[in-house]
Amino acid sequence: MKLLRKPALREFLRILIAVSAALLLGFFITLLVSKQPLEAYRAFLLGPLSRFNRFGDWIEESITLTLVGLAVALVFKSKQFSLGAEGQILLGALVSGSIALFVPLPGYLRVPLALVAAMGVGFLWGYLPGYLKAHLNANEIVSTLMLNTIALKLYDYFLIFHIKPPNAGYNASATFTKDGILPSFVPALPFLADLRARFMSQTNITVMLYLTILAVLVAYYLMYRTPFGYELRMIGANIKFARYGGINVKQAIILAFAVSGVFAGLAGAHLAMGIHTKLIQNISLGIGFEGIVVALMARNNPLFVPLSALAYGYLRAGADIMERSSDVSREMVLVIQALIILLVTAEQVLPVIQQRVAARREAQPATSLAEGGH
Amino acid sequence: MWELVLKGIFSALFVASVLRISTPLILPALGGLISELSGATNIALEGIMLVAAFTGVVISAFTQNVWLGVIAGILSGMLVAAFLAYFHLYLGADLILSGIAINIMATGGTIFLLYVLTGDKGSSSTLASKAVPVINIPLIKDIPVVGTILSGHNIFTYLAFILTWFVSIYLYRTPQGVHLRAVGENPEAAASLGLNVRRIRLGALLMSGVLASLGGLNLSMAYLTLFQREMTAGRGFIALAAVFLGGRTPWGTLIAAILFGFFDALSNQLGSLAIPSQWVQMIPYAATVLALVVYSIRQRAQAVERARRFQEKHLAETRALGD
Repeated sequence: MKLLRKPALREFLRILIAVSAALLLGFFITLLVSKQPLEAYRAFLLGPLSRFNRFGDWIEESITLTLVGLAVALVFKSKQFSLGAEGQILLGALVSGSIALFVPLPGYLRVPLALVAAMGVGFLWGYLPGYLKAHLNANEIVSTLMLNTIALKLYDYFLIFHIKPPNAGYNASATFTKDGILPSFVPALPFLADLRARFMSQTNITVMLYLTILAVLVAYYLMYRTPFGYELRMIGANIKFARYGGINVKQAIILAFAVSGVFAGLAGAHLAMGIHTKLIQNISLGIGFEGIVVALMARNNPLFVPLSALAYGYLRAGADIMERSSDVSREMVLVIQALIILLVTAEQVLPVIQQRVAARREAQPATSLAEGGH
Repeated sequence: MWELVLKGIFSALFVASVLRISTPLILPALGGLISELSGATNIALEGIMLVAAFTGVVISAFTQNVWLGVIAGILSGMLVAAFLAYFHLYLGADLILSGIAINIMATGGTIFLLYVLTGDKGSSSTLASKAVPVINIPLIKDIPVVGTILSGHNIFTYLAFILTWFVSIYLYRTPQGVHLRAVGENPEAAASLGLNVRRIRLGALLMSGVLASLGGLNLSMAYLTLFQREMTAGRGFIALAAVFLGGRTPWGTLIAAILFGFFDALSNQLGSLAIPSQWVQMIPYAATVLALVVYSIRQRAQAVERARRFQEKHLAETRALGD
């Protein structure tokens, strides 16, 4: 297996240790503050599997997290710290939601149109900071943070002044009609009718599940099988070398930002047309930053993003359940999340283990040479 | 309608409110400036403010002493900054990612502890925390308009202006400040001259921690007198933007932070009218993106100009040699 060659294995081990250490610390915190720490932690670790609808919540969250994780992975791979996913998600939700609400087309046309529009607006909202970075060397962290807030204000403005029904008591749109909602992932076939009804009544798992799997493959293909992906990785590894080697660095950087926005825009469409089925305020709340954790745990490799999204989505769903069934608040998962980032990024935090692994790696060729017979 | 707005803006009360709203932006922005100039973008200002705001409230409530609260708040912010610096400078973690982690941990950690201490996840209203005193400047407070604008603010507002002055002296008039900027400008060159890049950045991050803490304490012990979850509401990020909007200079940063405060106050003013506040609130963010563009273009023009001058000089010298 190409994927499981030694460095990858070592990476996996490192991340596994970081996650376990963070979870262990979370358990100690629970021990300190809770009257029934074991119950609380059991709810946290096993909750998402305890009921069918909770399982559905977990999968839905993971779909969003996968898409955002892919967006972050693409742009971080080129060592460009675009934090713009949040704004792209918001605009993706706004545009797709508006189409779902107001464009009088049948569902089989309206839904694809909304998805494409969400990807398009994500592309544009990524293109902008990409252009500023590539041509003017404008700090992308600041520009993307500013664009996030601008997107948030645009979202709120359109929601409150144009989309919200005039007599609504709170700031939300009307619920989308059937033609504006992503269909269930179980096809509408006669012999699957029971299953479909069961999933639809308790979960919002939609065809976005398939689109997300497709997105993972597309992102992987882009990153590892196209010239663009090669340039992206080259720039990430050493930008001076990439420039010297004749890569059109400016164009590649702009594309990295913009293509990343496509995935984030799609995540926004999933929030609007899959999970909430209406536009609400704070629809994206912090999920752009959670995408960073997902991408980080996957080491920016698209194929690992779904796994890390599932793992992280599980923690989030578990935290919600823990809060409802015990005296520990769900914010503990934020602390665990932060610890994971710190432990995964700190290259020297597990030096002993790394050294041991490295030593074993060095020792291995020698042994295999000695045992050269077989 | 516009008359009403203009009358609102040109009142002493409005100017005073701009100063009050700007204070929790100016202080962290100065911190962001110092670390930025040392070459370390401190994205964790937000989290440091939050931790300091929380610690100040809790300690002042438990000791019933406002100054112990302030000191504890500053120390807690420094500790967070030191934590960030340790992970970045000594464990090789990426500064941006660890900064994001600090922000997440601050958000989660403060809410978590708030719940443990008070059983409430929204605010610390059940804790009897203290507020820093308001200063009425003698004589000035009795002058009609000037008195309303200049007098009667909390100490953090005065501190913000005094510290801007201090920071500009520190950065441009002391050897330490020059070293700090040299490290930010070109770390390799600074290191080759014997400067300890790591230690200087550590110092810069700690200073930014202190300044951001003051901004956070201003929120929870002066602006409001309690801690609310996520009460910094992105001010740490706005502060970072003010650094860039202000062209990475102390006085520019001060003006940029006040500009953000102005538009915030203005959107409050317009909130009572039919103008959507979202558009007004958007202005400073769009302005920052523009400022970023202008700054970058100017930076590049300067580089081109330097190269041209160097070339001319070089040409002149070779010509002189040729004769």
